Amino acid sequence: MRALQGLRGPRAPSLPLLLLCFLAAVRRSLEDGLSTAAPFTSLPVQEEMTTKYSNLSLESHNLSVTAAPITSLPVQEEMRTKAAPITSLPVREEMTTKYSNLTLESHSISMTAMPMKENNKGNQICVDRGIMLQRNVTLERPNMPAEKNITLERPSNVELTCQFTPSGNLNSVNVTWKKGDKLLEDNYLVNATGSILYTQYRVAVINSKQMGSYSCFFGEKKQQRGTFNLKVPEINGKNKPLITYVGDSVVLICKCQDCLPLNWTWYTGNGSVQVPIGVPVNDKYVISGKHANETKLKITQLSEDDQGTYWCHAIFELGESEGHVELVVLSYLVPLKAFCAIAAEVVLLVAIILLFEKYTQKKKKPSDDGKEIEQGEQLKLDDSNGIENSGPRHRKNESVGQ
Amino acid sequence: MAYRAEPPDGGWGWMVVLSAFFQSALVFGVLRSFGVFFVEFVAAFEEPAARVSWIASIGIAVQQFGSPVGSVLSTKFGPRPVVMTGGILAALGMLLASFATSLTHLYLSIGLLSGSGWALTFTPTLACLSRYFSRRRSLATGLALTGVGLSSFAFAPLFQWLLNHYAWRGALLLVSALSLHLVACGALLRPLSLAEDPVVGGPGAQITSLLCHGPFLRYTIAITLINTGYFIPYVHLVAHLRDLGWDPLPAAFLLSVAAISDLVGRVASGWLGDAVPGPVARLLMLWTTLTGVILALYPVAEVPTGLVALTVAYGFTSGALTPVAFSVLPELVGTGKIYCGLGLVQMVESIGGLLGAPLSGYLRDVTGNYTASFVVAGAFLLAGSGVLITLPHFFCVSAPTSKPQDLVTEALDTKVPLPEEGLGED
Repeated sequence: MRALQGLRGPRAPSLPLLLLCFLAAVRRSLEDGLSTAAPFTSLPVQEEMTTKYSNLSLESHNLSVTAAPITSLPVQEEMRTKAAPITSLPVREEMTTKYSNLTLESHSISMTAMPMKENNKGNQICVDRGIMLQRNVTLERPNMPAEKNITLERPSNVELTCQFTPSGNLNSVNVTWKKGDKLLEDNYLVNATGSILYTQYRVAVINSKQMGSYSCFFGEKKQQRGTFNLKVPEINGKNKPLITYVGDSVVLICKCQDCLPLNWTWYTGNGSVQVPIGVPVNDKYVISGKHANETKLKITQLSEDDQGTYWCHAIFELGESEGHVELVVLSYLVPLKAFCAIAAEVVLLVAIILLFEKYTQKKKKPSDDGKEIEQGEQLKLDDSNGIENSGPRHRKNESVGQ
Repeated sequence: MAYRAEPPDGGWGWMVVLSAFFQSALVFGVLRSFGVFFVEFVAAFEEPAARVSWIASIGIAVQQFGSPVGSVLSTKFGPRPVVMTGGILAALGMLLASFATSLTHLYLSIGLLSGSGWALTFTPTLACLSRYFSRRRSLATGLALTGVGLSSFAFAPLFQWLLNHYAWRGALLLVSALSLHLVACGALLRPLSLAEDPVVGGPGAQITSLLCHGPFLRYTIAITLINTGYFIPYVHLVAHLRDLGWDPLPAAFLLSVAAISDLVGRVASGWLGDAVPGPVARLLMLWTTLTGVILALYPVAEVPTGLVALTVAYGFTSGALTPVAFSVLPELVGTGKIYCGLGLVQMVESIGGLLGAPLSGYLRDVTGNYTASFVVAGAFLLAGSGVLITLPHFFCVSAPTSKPQDLVTEALDTKVPLPEEGLGED
């Protein structure tokens, strides 16, 4: 918004002109169903807009990088005055009532520019300080970009704030915003309190075109950058392949943590080509799901052709997200062969053991007979003498009992 | 058939040790590592974990309560056919389980069928082992029981690998094939005829005489008390450590350390049991008292080094008491009645084992931490060791001459003609 950009100097007189210029542009873009700048201008179609966006949640995300005050206005006042173009419309009350029941999210990352020395020694000091300061703040190293991933499910108003503390003069810092590689011209504010520079970018995320990477740049001696990645929620399929057997049935599950997609669709993958799974004959594929955040694909009467990768797509208003599950179908013969091999080995072992025993017994037989005859004679001898019998027997049995 | 006057103490006995080693691995190792399958069953049958864990509980219960059946059958038919049948039953149970469509199916196939298969294998094997050794009995038992510890290390990753490659149905099929090796182990159990066998009579007579045998009953009570306290640390140690603020990975690692010291303890105690003269019951009392004291000290230790030291000591002493526990029995009842004796002891001690863990869990729920559980476990162990003092000839220095031997002597005197008959048969 050029009007909002007028932080750097009063532009009030040109405001109505600018607003009129935007009228035509917004009308055209409305027909396309797209708008990046439209919601904040005063238009005859304001009511349409408010009813369209009445259920948007306001999310504000901050990346704080320290900065110096550029204008003399305090922050709150600045925000209000710059917010004025949005709300200084006949339907201001409507807008505020619509926003009053919305949730506000705020995220913050803060970046500090370290005093850079000319030579490499400076880096060392910075690293030392970085380690000390790391305890307080998430990302402090000056050369590392501050990044934040934001998951959006439904259309909402998003407020991205970067906070920057420059080491040198606040006025020398050049602030820009980019979406991807495209430089953003309007819709953002820059102001300062004390020695901290704030910049805020607002965007109404309605569909997938507004998703992506938004970056704020602070140009000092070295350019500092903070990035917000707007993404749809991720879907979890399964990392390990699912193993099933021919004739079995299997349930493939895709779920996401706290999201409510509008719709789920399943595809089977054939290399890089994805073929959708339509309404089946014979009840082979049944798509169901108990809760909105999960989907189940039940496949019955599996055959080896059903092997491969299955993709589940979750459709949100803001885009699509996908997960995948790999299915492996084995034939029953695979473990059965292993089983038969091991069973055969066991039978072989038993045969060897029993044959070995028979063989050794046969060998022992002649000598065994000799031993037994000896024993028999000894016992006969003992027999004849009852007293002697009990003696050696007794001792032997004692040792047996132990 | 020639009746040996003495156990061979070696020779084929070492093959029996090998067989017992693999059998304890295949029975208890499989039972302990079965937890890996539970996750798959919970997902496949959509049942809560508590209901799935009943599979292992039923299996263990059937194995222990069925021990007397195994003993009786081995007294009648010898250990070999009984153990081989048990192996086939265990493998059959797992095979049928691979076709399961519901949890009840698994209860019946793994729990009941495999459980009864295991009941027919473990007790007869240990009894057979006791018959093959006299001087080196404790060492042989200790070596054989190391199979349990080593297999728990090996089978858990193996089962996980099987699950990853064949899913649970194929994995159960292959575990069934693995259990078939019990049959091969059974084939190794050559029947041994000892001099006392014809004297002690059939299984019915043995059981009645055992139930009237004072020392045997006292020993059974002692073992039951010991069993009640024995398993508690294994079940609750990790939870206790987590309560104290340990991370799950170091806690699990400490349990592995305990398992290693358990292995060392078994072998060391086995060797010691044979080296020290006099009744083995004294060594059992020593190890049991030490274990009880260590358990009672557990709540006192808060420092990590103290806990590690206590856990290593607990592993060692609890492993040490297992082989001597099995060695005391032949001294009491003689090798002739060992099958039935061991079966009865296993059945009664299982009551202690089944009660111990839930009791400790209940105490924990009531008091809020594991202090009471550990102290009660220690108390049970100390009580068990106290009962052991009442065993005969406990305080004798020389070898005991207990009644069964006198019984044998008298009987042999009257049955002298027997060897002549045996000559004719061969």
